Amino acid sequence: MNLLDIRNLSIELDTPNGRILAVDRVSLSIKEGEVRGLVGESGSGKSLLAQAIIGVLEDKWHVHADRFHWRGIDLLRLTIDERKALLCRDIAMIFQEPMSCLDPTTLIGEQLSEAIDSSQLTGHYWQRKAQRKEAVVKLLHKVGIKKHLQCINSYPHQLTEAICQRVMIAIALAGRPILLIADEPTAAMESTNQGQIFRLLANLNQLKNMSILLISHDLENLTHWTNTITVMYSGQFVEAGTTGQIFNKPMHPYTRALVDSSTKANLQLPSKSRLMTLPGSIPILQHLPIGCRLGPRCPRAQKTCVEAPKVSSFHGHKVSCHFPLLHEKVKKTQAKQCSTKGAC
Amino acid sequence: MLTFTLRRLTLFIFTMLVLTLLSFSLSFLFPGDTVINHSGQINATASELQLLNDAYQMDENIFSQYKAYLSHVLSGDFGQSMASQSPINHELKALLPATMELSLVALLIAMLTGIPLGFIAAIKHNKTSDNAILSLAMLGYSIPVFWLGLLAILLFSITLGWLPSAGQISLLFEIEFVTGIQFIDILLSDSPYKWQAFSNASAHIILPACVIALAPATIFIRLSRAAMIEVLAASYIRAARAKGLSFNQIIFRHAIRNALIKIIRHVGLQFANLVTIAMVTEVIFSWPGIGRWLIESIYQRDYTAIQSGLLVLSCFIFIVHILTDFIYAALNPLARGNKYGS
Repeated sequence: MNLLDIRNLSIELDTPNGRILAVDRVSLSIKEGEVRGLVGESGSGKSLLAQAIIGVLEDKWHVHADRFHWRGIDLLRLTIDERKALLCRDIAMIFQEPMSCLDPTTLIGEQLSEAIDSSQLTGHYWQRKAQRKEAVVKLLHKVGIKKHLQCINSYPHQLTEAICQRVMIAIALAGRPILLIADEPTAAMESTNQGQIFRLLANLNQLKNMSILLISHDLENLTHWTNTITVMYSGQFVEAGTTGQIFNKPMHPYTRALVDSSTKANLQLPSKSRLMTLPGSIPILQHLPIGCRLGPRCPRAQKTCVEAPKVSSFHGHKVSCHFPLLHEKVKKTQAKQCSTKGAC
Repeated sequence: MLTFTLRRLTLFIFTMLVLTLLSFSLSFLFPGDTVINHSGQINATASELQLLNDAYQMDENIFSQYKAYLSHVLSGDFGQSMASQSPINHELKALLPATMELSLVALLIAMLTGIPLGFIAAIKHNKTSDNAILSLAMLGYSIPVFWLGLLAILLFSITLGWLPSAGQISLLFEIEFVTGIQFIDILLSDSPYKWQAFSNASAHIILPACVIALAPATIFIRLSRAAMIEVLAASYIRAARAKGLSFNQIIFRHAIRNALIKIIRHVGLQFANLVTIAMVTEVIFSWPGIGRWLIESIYQRDYTAIQSGLLVLSCFIFIVHILTDFIYAALNPLARGNKYGS
């Protein structure tokens, strides 16, 4: 069953020059126990999408969706308060730059203990304080912090980024979430710490069957940890499929470019040769191209690309492109050519 | 924390040294004989002048003159008032507590009204209440204090008759002078009319304190509004929302403390401004404080009183400033700890 099923979610921004469609009809579905990656360049609206799901966007952003189901419950029919209560109970989020996401003037212990819902505590109110403290220590152990006393009694600025991110994960775990949204959890972190955080997330996924939506700009790194991947570009849906499908047989020119620009997929490349990259950069919000937003940068763009493409599905591999790269056909045509020429 | 305290103390000592240097140099800059400006004895005979010259070491070089002046100041001898020929330290002892009382009450009123209003404005950002509070703040800031004081007397004392217009307490009550701070003295006294005196003194302080508090309160409104808006946009507030905390929990547990940190230092800075306003207000409300005394001394060209009054008043302002620094450190863990490379 789909845990989260979002169809055609759009996010608009109020500006002095009218509304801008920042995220344009993106669909996303997450199955139970799955790790889904959400990939895109910075500015492609992945963080926006995540914040829209959990409902912490500021007032200037307007969110619309055709379908927004959470474990079979139609969230669009609930009131805002009901939806928020439901989502806050079941979904937790960790952010990039964990240091700035912790209140600088409150002790870590307090911040952790206020995340623990009092419904989880059993016993009388005079026992609650001790139970809370015990729960805090347990949470810290769960995320691999051994010196819990030291951690509880320190302020965020006294800890390193990686420990802060562990604390953030502990706070997220306090609500016993079913889905964890990790918004670039290892941005600005050293690679050893990055590995630790990702391993911790993978452990949580396997041991607690917690689904994870892992947001990152680094496709290559993401492939180690995810089951399925959704690719976004400039607020538009690009491609979704299993990690193998996306990484080995990308159908969209943008995904192709992402894969080509990673070193691991291009080991056969001669040394000191340039990696393939797309020319240009992601368009700014005020100057979005019409139709497929990749158009101006796309190597395969044609006249029809001024209209936004529809999503087509190939064995669960969804792609939004007028001219997807179809491997089987390519191979077949190559084979045909070979056979006509007689020698390959 | 110890390092922090020591740093503040050294700052205090050096600032006081500079201030005494300033008041010392004033004696040279004011017209008249330097030693008479120092001591305020305008009717001194030749032999008395000789004694004074010895006491202030006027025959020595300027450093020993300063040293002599400093030792006089440190022993509490500010000389005599030129106008009344009474020792200035006695007058200061009687007058300074009244000013302290008035300005601290005004500061309290300004903080207790200004900061919550600013927070409300920030929470209701870009709504009607925000705009209303902001325009009120603008209006309050642009009213001159002497005019406001007269208007307040006209309305509340004369037309409505609710509050007394002048003085610190009704003359009917006899309160023994202990600390000089009226409220504490009333509480210490064993008069049978203690509580009547207390309510009378409170009625006397309301009007001048509110008049003084208006301008700083409007500044606090703007400061706290800006600080709160900044805090509410911070990512830890968004993270707290994602944690599932209710809006009230976010405001009371996280937002207020962080916003207070941003404004508490400005409170210390604004206190100097507040004391200036208090001096003018003391004249209007005939408050027996040091501000009124200082302004009168300026009218009477009482140079000794002017320089010692300035010294004492700035010392008081600086002490309050340091106290706010301590409150800042108590609220902000970042300011407390050892900082490396700063």
